[in-house]
Amino acid sequence: MGAIGSYVENIKDAVTTIFEGMAVTASHFVRKPYTVQYPDRTEVRVQDTLPFRYRGILEVDLEICTGCLACERACPIDCIVIAVEKDPATRGMIISQFDIDIAKCMFCGLCSEPCPTGSIHHTTEFEGADFSLESLIRRFVKEPIHAYKAKKGPETDPRLAPILSRGMHYLDQWAQPGGDKPAAGTEES
Amino acid sequence: MNTLRTEEMTLNMGPQHPSTHGVLRFIVRADGEVMREAVPDVGYLHRSIEKIAEKVGYHGFMPYTDRVDYVCAMFTNQGWGMACEKLAGIEVPRRGEYCRVIAAEFNRIASHLLSVGTMAMDIGAMTPFTHAIREREMINDLIEELCGARLTFNYMRIGGVGFDLPPGWREKALAYLDHFDPILEEYNALISYNKIYIERLANVGVIAADDAVNYNLVGPNLRACGVKWDIRKDIPYSVYPDFEFEVPIGSGQWGTLGDAMDRYMVRIREMAESSKILRQALKQLPPGSVLAKVPRNFKPPAGECQIRVESARGDMGWYVVSDGTAFPWRVHVRTGSFAAMGITQKLSRGLMIADLVTLIASLDVIAPEIDR
Ligand code: SF4
Ligand code: SF4
Repeated sequence: MGAIGSYVENIKDAVTTIFEGMAVTASHFVRKPYTVQYPDRTEVRVQDTLPFRYRGILEVDLEICTGCLACERACPIDCIVIAVEKDPATRGMIISQFDIDIAKCMFCGLCSEPCPTGSIHHTTEFEGADFSLESLIRRFVKEPIHAYKAKKGPETDPRLAPILSRGMHYLDQWAQPGGDKPAAGTEES
Repeated sequence: MNTLRTEEMTLNMGPQHPSTHGVLRFIVRADGEVMREAVPDVGYLHRSIEKIAEKVGYHGFMPYTDRVDYVCAMFTNQGWGMACEKLAGIEVPRRGEYCRVIAAEFNRIASHLLSVGTMAMDIGAMTPFTHAIREREMINDLIEELCGARLTFNYMRIGGVGFDLPPGWREKALAYLDHFDPILEEYNALISYNKIYIERLANVGVIAADDAVNYNLVGPNLRACGVKWDIRKDIPYSVYPDFEFEVPIGSGQWGTLGDAMDRYMVRIREMAESSKILRQALKQLPPGSVLAKVPRNFKPPAGECQIRVESARGDMGWYVVSDGTAFPWRVHVRTGSFAAMGITQKLSRGLMIADLVTLIASLDVIAPEIDR
């Protein structure tokens, strides 16, 4: 086989391999599309399709915040600022400021991990575009509020119980350190 | 007789160039279409990550390691975790190690998919990129369900992982692997065996085995030159000894040993091997806890340690010096892309300008990993 032979061989190779590739592409005419039209043509809001563990914009349930400052200490870039005071009357704690700078936050989840009640948690909300950095600082305390005190036994207050159970469910997602016990709510094997 | 006067030309390629995988600048001296030399100018993406470690402490640095190499963040997570565990003598529970390997191998597939996809795109084939990205998105969906993030995972913790597998995840992962293996074949039919594609890659940027070793190449780039060196096999860490897998090396079947096509095929075959590891890991997953008890205020004893992990871009080294306080005294990361960058200058001599793009793509350089 001379030069012409290998030339023809090359062309034959190129054409057949191109056809093989084309066949794969063509098969996509009969396959289901993988893409969706965001944001307005999805059947359900994208936020509602995200997994529970999704680390979106942070939210705080102040009703069950104990004011322990664990989240503030855990954040590596100090984007949480909490101010707590002792209430002279009841000797409980009052939370007078709870700000999270969403513009600085990197959604790492280190703050929601040590929270004892699941008060600070990530939501599935991710559309956070805004016109100014100032408005990205979420101020959760409208007026000073008494910090939550953990009770012995289950929570009885009908207003707090659902919030707390949601918080506890959130906490269950995180791995529990030590022991051989798998974390509650995760896979048994 | 009058000769046509030719002149050398200096070109700047990048930093903002679609084929440089991030922001990366080359100063190209070219004579017509042929390059005299392409000098990489690194440092554009330097973010002082190593210095940040000295300020944020051991636990707080974990999310930053994601940013060292955002395409395969699981490995940087794992490297940091392993270094701290070695410093403090913490043992990770077996299930934790398995979770790490599972997450990491999924991440390796995702990273290689991005690499082979962008490689085809840099060369001008647009379709394979969308196929590769589609598969990568599915892996990201799985990882998102596992740890809540798609790119900067922050999945691992010092002493284990942050989340156990959610219910039903294992079945989903296995179903995905069943779907993935034929897709790899399909991808090969789509582009890898395409004659024109092979012609573009074969014999481009040939690296000899001893050059590769001398220039400190690691990972798939090194293995494509025929050197069988994989940290997972040769200095086993985590639970890799439990699994059976091959280490693919370059064959030189399409051109010369150590050319761009070999690097490409090594990545394709590594994905199949990762899939094999994943199946074994998901099957053998032991019960138990995934996280060891580590104090919140983590203060490892004074000392230094160095560990190596086999990331998608090769042997990644973490060197940590502790002075016994809550902040590391010094952290250094050694990454594969930096080494790969070093050899481009040598390889570029005499190469066509269009082949420079092929060369960078085949070395799978990720710009933020070069500078950190
Ligand atoms: S998610 Fe991370 S960065 Fe954001 S507030 Fe929590 S700890 Fe800080
Ligand atoms: S949000 Fe949680 S961690 Fe933060 S202060 Fe309140 S209870 Fe403590």
